[in-house]
Amino acid sequence: METLVFQKPSSIQKDCNVTFCPGCDHGVAIRIIAELLDELNLVEKTIVVSSIGCSVFLNDYYNLDIIEAPHGRALAVATGVKRSKPDKFVFTYQGDGDFASIGLGESMHGLSRGEKVTAICINNTNYGMTGGQMAPTTIIGQKTTTTINGRDPNLQGYPIKICEMASICDGAAFVARCSLDSSKEIENTKKMIKKAFESQINNQGASLIEILSTCPTNWKLSPQEAHKRIREELYPVFPLGIYKDKTSK
Amino acid sequence: MGRVVIDKEKCKGCFLCVDVCPKKILKKGTNYNSKGNYTVYVDDPNNECFGCALCAKRCPDMAITEVYR
Amino acid sequence: MTKTAEKVLLKGNHAIAKAAINAGCQCYFGYPITPQNEIGEFLSVEMPARGRVFLQAESEVAAINMLLGAASTGTKAMTSSSSLAIALMQEGISYIAADNIPAVVVSVMRAGPALGYIFPSQGDYFQTVKGGGNGDYKTLTLAPATVQEMIDYTYKAFYLAQKYRTIVFLLADGLLGQMMEPAVLYDYPYEEIDNSDWALDGAKGRPGRWIGSIHRSEEVLEKKVLELFKKYDIIKQNEIEYKTLYAEDAEILITAFGSVARIAQAAVKQAREAGLKVGLFRPITLWPFPEKELYKFATGKKLILDIEMNMGQMLEDVKMSVSGQAKVEFYGRPAGFYFTPEELLEEIKKQMEGLK
Repeated sequence: METLVFQKPSSIQKDCNVTFCPGCDHGVAIRIIAELLDELNLVEKTIVVSSIGCSVFLNDYYNLDIIEAPHGRALAVATGVKRSKPDKFVFTYQGDGDFASIGLGESMHGLSRGEKVTAICINNTNYGMTGGQMAPTTIIGQKTTTTINGRDPNLQGYPIKICEMASICDGAAFVARCSLDSSKEIENTKKMIKKAFESQINNQGASLIEILSTCPTNWKLSPQEAHKRIREELYPVFPLGIYKDKTSK
Repeated sequence: MGRVVIDKEKCKGCFLCVDVCPKKILKKGTNYNSKGNYTVYVDDPNNECFGCALCAKRCPDMAITEVYR
Repeated sequence: MTKTAEKVLLKGNHAIAKAAINAGCQCYFGYPITPQNEIGEFLSVEMPARGRVFLQAESEVAAINMLLGAASTGTKAMTSSSSLAIALMQEGISYIAADNIPAVVVSVMRAGPALGYIFPSQGDYFQTVKGGGNGDYKTLTLAPATVQEMIDYTYKAFYLAQKYRTIVFLLADGLLGQMMEPAVLYDYPYEEIDNSDWALDGAKGRPGRWIGSIHRSEEVLEKKVLELFKKYDIIKQNEIEYKTLYAEDAEILITAFGSVARIAQAAVKQAREAGLKVGLFRPITLWPFPEKELYKFATGKKLILDIEMNMGQMLEDVKMSVSGQAKVEFYGRPAGFYFTPEELLEEIKKQMEGLK
């Protein structure tokens, strides 16, 4: 007798066509979030805040209640949603440009206020949707369409360290950086998001999961090479791990 | 004994699943789907698949829709 | 619930805040700026006391987006601000309009451009009525002229926002916000609007709902904008509001809104006492503007005199509505010097001389 050991999560649209570029890690993040909504029985009380960038099309994938936030304002919109409906489960899904460049103010204030929401930030070190420009997280030396000779700290400054900044926010209950570059890290990412979701369920404060993710098209690498780049070039700049954990206290 | 169900119309041919399969039974195909993407296929003559689902969990396009064990 | 009404001495900003509470406003988001701080200060005490939300945002940009979030759940919510800070909210205002969700924005105008100062002004007629955000959308705008009307039109703003799922502006100025006068505070008089068919509250027993403005097909985007404007047509049909005084037989018809309309009203009464045939046309909804109504009253008049505390903004709508049926002149001062009835009477007399 066969046992079904894997199926699409219930909140994924029935005939969902993932429209990201081939090999892009966004689809994995979207799926594991949906799996957790099932596992934690949250589907019927979830309100998602989408953002601007490749993350804008969440309604193509999720059969959930979704509100689209203007660029960078996801944490502010999530604040309005959660404050008006405190019994709902609220998470944002943003890119690094949305979260840490145009939206850095809203992001840090949302975390500092300890809003009972979870922010998921996909960090792929460039502006993917607009064609691969420099992002706040573009690493030194990285070539983008606006740093064609590589990011030069004398000209463009240094990359923003999202989790490091978030970890000093007193209102943040759980902050972690993870990656989707391997099966093992996918499992770990799911564990981290679960901890973040649980911190919201338990009213412990704001939570943030930064996910190192590939952008093969704009990095001009194959999906396989892109995962290798995460391990070799991004890990040293953006170390994985838990940056803040108030959940056990 | 395991089995994977692939929706080839959703496969974009990134072949990340090929790399993670411990039994190397997922292969890069030479046929393309209606969107023009080369797709992955299962070549498992010795019934080696044991339903670990690593492929489905790696697939960014949810093209591996079901895994049985 | 028992119906109550009491006469109280109220500051304009407090009148707005008290009316918002009576109207059932559940969430207030704001950021300090003079001359509207009394609204936030009052609500910071009174909202939590009722188990409701007061939240001081980190910026006006955040405040309008918090409002967007609360509005998406169908919750009665508002923000208040002023001029240069309303400028910061324009992107969010465009989103709220495009999303067809109800929200109330109170704008207590101060003198600009840019930082200007906290003097009363009507310099943000364009900003409010013509919209500073991107794309084709309209903001339903109510312009009170007394503290009593701050109450009346705050109630109406919440009602119209819910009824049409749209953004509604209460456009006041520093003069109205800061002045005190007696007013009757009464219960919210409007029916509650059911929003269970669109509001976000979790996809329980139904498919997920998406509230957003991105549409990747020309057909869909055009359809959405046309639908928005169908709604605006209905608002135009139903909600235009204006007041007149001696407008029928006047030779000179004054047009003015908000606090200036009130000063103009005193000037018109003085003019009539002096035997001058002067009347007043006061638009209360600035969008939709009472175009046809003004056209009707303007026809046959010797002169339309538009008076504003700015360099001539509503003037453009006045000219468009009058459509050449009468000569249109303008009298205005831009930065904080509000008029006295005597000053306006002098201007009226001057204009009458010019007609001879």
